[in-house]
Amino acid sequence: MAKAELKANQKTEVEDSSSLKGTLASVFFVGLFIVVTWVSVYYLFVDRF
Amino acid sequence: MHIHKFEKIWLIFGISCLVIFLSVVGVSAFYLGNKPPSCLATINPEKVDETKPFNKPGLHKVEGKEWDYELVYVAQAFSYNPAQVEVPLGAKVKVIATTKDVIHGFEVAGTNINMMLEPGYISEYTTTFDKAGEYLIVCNEYCGSGHHLMFSKIEVVEK
Repeated sequence: MAKAELKANQKTEVEDSSSLKGTLASVFFVGLFIVVTWVSVYYLFVDRF
Repeated sequence: MHIHKFEKIWLIFGISCLVIFLSVVGVSAFYLGNKPPSCLATINPEKVDETKPFNKPGLHKVEGKEWDYELVYVAQAFSYNPAQVEVPLGAKVKVIATTKDVIHGFEVAGTNINMMLEPGYISEYTTTFDKAGEYLIVCNEYCGSGHHLMFSKIEVVEK
């Protein structure tokens, strides 16, 4: 008779989804892009008459 | 409530950016007194030619005001009056413009002077012409079949 086998001690890989490092990097990438464009347009405005 | 350390960082970053950007706009409006070019000044669009200062378009020296010159423009399909004007370098000028017929644009290319001219309203912008050169005024609001031919010129020259 076939036996249903259960392998004991098998490791299931669980990714640590609580890490927000990538999210932090993406947020600052977008954030710095917004700041740089804002500042350059501001200086363009100030420089012109 | 638990907030992740990184979330705190980008919340602070985002909120401070917003505060800085809005303060710049606030200082510009309430401290420096900047306002939209067309701000409550009205005119009868059928009597533009008889109404001061539009009865004499062009550059006029004025006394006792915050600015040294007034530059008056009348726009109509498809031209500006005057078609060309010379402004002395470094002069503080109040540009005053209106239209006799439809909505026109008034953009002095390469500068911050960019106004919409609406029939019945007077648009104004005060600035110091501190860079010499030739500046093209173009209509940037589609006003009809001759829209692309509508232009004028400002020459900022040392005197």
